[in-house]
Amino acid sequence: MLPPRLTLACLALILAACQDAPSSDAPDSAGIELREVRLALGYRPDVQFAPFYLAQREGFYADAGLAVTIEHHPAPDVQRLVADGQAEFGVADATDVMIARTSDIPIRYVSTLYQGFPVAIIGEAAVIPADPAGLAGMSIGTPGKFGSSWHALLALLEAGGLTEDDVEIREYPQFNQVDGLSNGDVHVITGFRNNEPLRLEARGTEVGLLTVDEVAPLPGPGTIVGDELLAADPALVRAFVDATAAAQAAVIADPDRGFAAAEASVPTIAEDPDVARSVLDATVALWEGDGFADGAIDEETWSVGYETMVRLGFIDGSVPLEDMIAADGG
Amino acid sequence: MRRIGAAIVSLAVFLAVWKLVSVIGGYPVYILPPPEEVVARAARAVGSGILWEHSAVTLLEIVLGFAVGATTAILTGIALGKSVLVERVLSPYIVAAQAVPILALAPLLDIWFGGGLLARVVICALIVFFPIAIATMVGIRSTDPLLAEMLRSLGATNAQRTRLLEVPSALPVIFGGLRVGVTLAVIGAVVAEWAGASTGLGVLINIANQGLFDTPLMFVALATLAVIGLAFYGLVVVVERRLLSH
Repeated sequence: MLPPRLTLACLALILAACQDAPSSDAPDSAGIELREVRLALGYRPDVQFAPFYLAQREGFYADAGLAVTIEHHPAPDVQRLVADGQAEFGVADATDVMIARTSDIPIRYVSTLYQGFPVAIIGEAAVIPADPAGLAGMSIGTPGKFGSSWHALLALLEAGGLTEDDVEIREYPQFNQVDGLSNGDVHVITGFRNNEPLRLEARGTEVGLLTVDEVAPLPGPGTIVGDELLAADPALVRAFVDATAAAQAAVIADPDRGFAAAEASVPTIAEDPDVARSVLDATVALWEGDGFADGAIDEETWSVGYETMVRLGFIDGSVPLEDMIAADGG
Repeated sequence: MRRIGAAIVSLAVFLAVWKLVSVIGGYPVYILPPPEEVVARAARAVGSGILWEHSAVTLLEIVLGFAVGATTAILTGIALGKSVLVERVLSPYIVAAQAVPILALAPLLDIWFGGGLLARVVICALIVFFPIAIATMVGIRSTDPLLAEMLRSLGATNAQRTRLLEVPSALPVIFGGLRVGVTLAVIGAVVAEWAGASTGLGVLINIANQGLFDTPLMFVALATLAVIGLAFYGLVVVVERRLLSH
């Protein structure tokens, strides 16, 4: 039995050990002081984040005076962490940014990472309708009534003159709707064009897609910052956005280079490098969309998407579009 | 009366500490909403009917999941307690099943059982099962051997010994398992909803957190789950007192 004082001292030591190391400016190899910043990403370490790995490993960030620490959090937490200043930068779905901003979470979208909207309706090629109206009567698997998949689904239904009542929704909150489709439980699913179709093809399914870009344009995921940081240090935001865009352009120009950076940063890629490479190639196509623009925000797509989100009732329009984005990237 | 007074004081202290933390910490509403914000949001959720719509589904899952899980667990626990052979054969599977994180298995269970209420009841029952089965086994094994011997010498059958002696004497321990099990039933219902559901308090938590970024509404759903858990726990305690007082 430890004496009480020793027990308290041990507890204090354990608690102290659990604390994150204090943040400080870190010198790079040339001895220049770098500004330490945190980047909050959703999902998990994955090849689709190759530009960030490349920027980190090949000095894009260091050249911009930044030492970037990458963290992964559940998607809705990214907005909160960035708003609260616990992470300087984050990556979030644009449609979620609209809702978060309307819910008084002080974040702004400062650069576009995906020119193409990544969510699509996915199914067997023979089942996928040619247009959204063809979804009538179908059963559709989706993770839940939240997030970009849900926003895209309702936007597509609206474009087809349909509502939620015209289809049967089945929810897969653990994002295992691919299993539901393979099991024959639903006709089609919502999913990310750089993920679910590849998994279905690996199971021998001939995959068809119904995308939103042509019929119900919505802005894609991008970089977010907190209002406070954007007001206090726009140069820092600009430096991060530019360095990320340069790294992303480098991966688009030479995917092998991006893949090598991802392989070095994400050990699980080694388990199935062919699939990872397919994911990267599909992701590059989404970054490019109808033309990579160095992270610039397509205000027309945002405007159309904003109106769609208002019509669908996801936002009430009380926060104007210009308060959601910083079109000059800070 | 004194008990109610203590509960009110305890609740007041809890709310005061919560308010104090939110003020001293300077947390914005989207990180830690203060209690009055959550109460106001609860009033709106009750008024719109959304809270009852989701609570009713979760309540049904809890009741059915607990009923199925507890019944199966008590029967299994009796078999485990009475037969060393049954225990040797079944207990490795029961312990292994308990060690497997149900959260990982739940999405598959949802697909195997067709994704409806049945799937959610099965998931809830699985979570409830272990503590009640083990408590029952321990209770049955703790029967006074002298009393058992006496019944045997009076010619009581195995079924009669179980019904008249072993189960009644195991009741205090079984109720210990039921107290744990009923709170796990609440967690089980939410886990089941997170595996696949359109309504329920677990779904409301997801919608509030991931869809609406409405942290106060998420706290309303969490508080409702806590109240449901307390109510069911209290119900088990009341039944326990009535049964054991006889």
